[in-house]
Amino acid sequence: MTAVRGRLGKAERDPVFERYRKAFLFAGPNEGRTTAYPRVAVYTGSGASHSWIWFADLMERIGLYDITFIVESDMSSGGLDGFDFLLVGGGDTYAMAESLGGDGARAILRFVGDGGLYLGSCAGAYLVLTGVDLEPFTPFRLVTGEMRNVMPDPPKPRCLDHKYLARYGEEWVFHPVYGEVEVGPGDAAAGFPCFDAGATIRAPLFGGPIMEGAHKDEVLARFSGLSDRAAFLWPRGDVLRLVDGRAAAVVSSIGEGTVVVSGPHLEHPLFPGANALAAEVLLRHCARKGELGGGRHTPGRGGDKPVGGEEAESLAREIRRQVSNARIVAFGLEKMPVTWRIGLKVWEPEKVRMFLDYAWYRLPFVAKRAALVSPGERLAHLAGGYGEVTQMARSVKARIESGEDSQAEAELLLGTLKELTAAFLSVYFKLRLQERTGLPEKPRTS
Amino acid sequence: MDFMYYGDILIVDLEAGTTEEVEIDEAWRAGPVLPAALELFRRHAQDNPLLLGSGILTGTTAPASCLGFVLGASQITGGPAVAPLDMFAGAEMKLSGFSMVLIKGNSPDPVYLWLHDGVADLVDASPITGKDTWRTCDAIREEMGEQLIQVVSIGPAGEAKSDLASFSINYWGSGDNAALGALMGAKNLKAVALRGLGMIDAEDPEEFYNRTMDLLRGSPSKKGFDWVSRGPEDEGIDAWLKPLAHRHRSCFACPCACNTFVKYNEDPAVMGSDGVQEPGLMVTNPAAALWLRQGGWGAEGACRAMEAMTRAGIDAVRGAREMSTGPLEDPTEIAAAVEALTGSAGAAWPRGEGAGSGIFGPRTPPQGSEDRWLEVNRAAYVLGICPLFLVTSGVELSELLELCLPAAGVEVDAGGIKEMFDRARA
Ligand code: SF4
Repeated sequence: MTAVRGRLGKAERDPVFERYRKAFLFAGPNEGRTTAYPRVAVYTGSGASHSWIWFADLMERIGLYDITFIVESDMSSGGLDGFDFLLVGGGDTYAMAESLGGDGARAILRFVGDGGLYLGSCAGAYLVLTGVDLEPFTPFRLVTGEMRNVMPDPPKPRCLDHKYLARYGEEWVFHPVYGEVEVGPGDAAAGFPCFDAGATIRAPLFGGPIMEGAHKDEVLARFSGLSDRAAFLWPRGDVLRLVDGRAAAVVSSIGEGTVVVSGPHLEHPLFPGANALAAEVLLRHCARKGELGGGRHTPGRGGDKPVGGEEAESLAREIRRQVSNARIVAFGLEKMPVTWRIGLKVWEPEKVRMFLDYAWYRLPFVAKRAALVSPGERLAHLAGGYGEVTQMARSVKARIESGEDSQAEAELLLGTLKELTAAFLSVYFKLRLQERTGLPEKPRTS
Repeated sequence: MDFMYYGDILIVDLEAGTTEEVEIDEAWRAGPVLPAALELFRRHAQDNPLLLGSGILTGTTAPASCLGFVLGASQITGGPAVAPLDMFAGAEMKLSGFSMVLIKGNSPDPVYLWLHDGVADLVDASPITGKDTWRTCDAIREEMGEQLIQVVSIGPAGEAKSDLASFSINYWGSGDNAALGALMGAKNLKAVALRGLGMIDAEDPEEFYNRTMDLLRGSPSKKGFDWVSRGPEDEGIDAWLKPLAHRHRSCFACPCACNTFVKYNEDPAVMGSDGVQEPGLMVTNPAAALWLRQGGWGAEGACRAMEAMTRAGIDAVRGAREMSTGPLEDPTEIAAAVEALTGSAGAAWPRGEGAGSGIFGPRTPPQGSEDRWLEVNRAAYVLGICPLFLVTSGVELSELLELCLPAAGVEVDAGGIKEMFDRARA
């Protein structure tokens, strides 16, 4: 009943992941292993939309469970030390840059300089492009690249007005196509299995940069075609002329570190080919790091107390109850003709259920091991949090139904859900990691 | 049988306020279908159980796969009685994550049971005690925040344990003609609310989907009540209702929309709604309308009376027969006449025994004998397919039985169904 079915389930089971699962399974700090078991930081702070979850999802599919969800304050306070990958997904680039500020930018630079890998998609890509050179972006310039999708006076879109434009100084960043695109290999992808025999891969472009100006050797993937599974805000021929042959993803080495940026969401869960491209970049970085002297990190063992048996079980049941209640309301929300603008980002109501689903489908795993969760208060926090989310979702829905403005409530709901999902996934990945590393299975009873 | 959610049975102990899941006896290879429920009913007889369940195909893409069941002891017949859980409630029952629920004992305080995605909650119902079925449905949906929740509830008649009490499904009358609504009242169980976001999967999804689509394509699509009428005395019911008829509506996955929505508080020609909150009623069982017509009632007065009975949680079929007044038109007089029925005694109609055997409504459609109708009903409950569809669609029973293999990996034939009921009786 809890297995993920349909297109998502099919994509998850794609054999493309096997290679990476195996590679990372044998990664680790132990003697004789050539690559370190990577420690991953996923940015979930200000400006991040929901797409950071796709990164977590991808890490799980390739067998990487040592994941920490970080916000802007973690970054500037040395919170990136010891991580191997920093993953920054889509969202509101202005809000990200502003909240990270100079301290955040310096932390990212230091992280990469020390041998870390930065992988940014969509907003996470704009954030570090040299071509994005206005305040507040100036301190972040890491990868050479200009945006092609910027002009002072873009033509009117044919559809999806609300997704079309974002202010960029005196000009506008525009998005002429929204949905699936095809990308082919750039020079930097020579020998990548996902591009075997000149294959192209499909990936979703949801407002990410269309790039040029990077050195040819640094282009990882180029736009090579369009798809019927996309909305065309410009006439299709004009879109093709704009994107064809331009850089979709760029990789650059800085000292021992690597920076990868991608316009399309390589981490999107329905695009296993694109996922394989991202995974290959991570693996190659790890292999290089292995050759360069071994891992940066040894997974730590948790020392906090779980709550133990019955109480843990009852808390897990309460989480399930509340996530189910909230999902039922969220399903109803999806049918409502409403969107919310938070910063520059437009949020649709279906994002509420998306956050909840990521917890829902992982709940049986957590419930079975609830007695191992440490510290045990985390379960109580989740149970209480999801209870609040249910009430918030009901209140948002009631406001919409009665014709009242729901913006403030929706902002609170989505913010709370983002934090709670990160907290839930932290618990989940910690349990996955414990299983992988054979850490104590039996809880110390309180 | 994981595919069809068949697995554990939920046992709700109202007295203790607890719920637990138990495994179904492996001998019931076809899962927790009606015969298995009858056996459980007998085994738990001392707890005065009320059972809700579904059939093998309920909630799937099979045509008319809307059927679930409610089973309990009828205070009128003294024996087990079955009522259909149709419209969208049967499918939602399956989607709620439970194939069968056994509710035993009586609650010390009024409660309602909220089944959602495999979670069972007993919720305080004191704020909705005394409310009619329409307000009960509204209140539960509002509390839980979703309009698609299916609400099986009782009104004042059920709370008063009237012989005429019947549970309603959302706002509309059900086929409970054996006072199972009174059993809910005796249990202090105001409602069972159902909702689930699960997906019902099949053992062989492609085969199952293709076959069901073929059956659906081959099924006739019909509207109104005339096609299920029994004989001359039933004829013309659609024409009688026509001036008020607004639309026809089918149950889950059914190509034949026999339910008729009538408007009498608003012009039925208005397609949407011109602001009237409660424009009318869905007539879900023509027998009540027929009875009132035979008593000389006009369509509007009859529909208002049926609304009042449904809201009070009275079985409109039996209520119409018990009504002591002649034809009425004035809404206030109608309300008073219906109120006088609440709490009154009444007989099951027309056969208590039939109700106990799983008969879908009190009326036999024109095709075949009563024995044949009983046989069809048994197959219908095991399959989860509406029996009216079974006898009128031209789809062979064997074609539907064959679906059980790609659906759930079990082989079921007509002989097997008979054996199941024999075993349940033994
Ligand atoms: S025939 Fe009528 S009662 Fe049967 S499923 Fe179809 S609409 Fe419902």
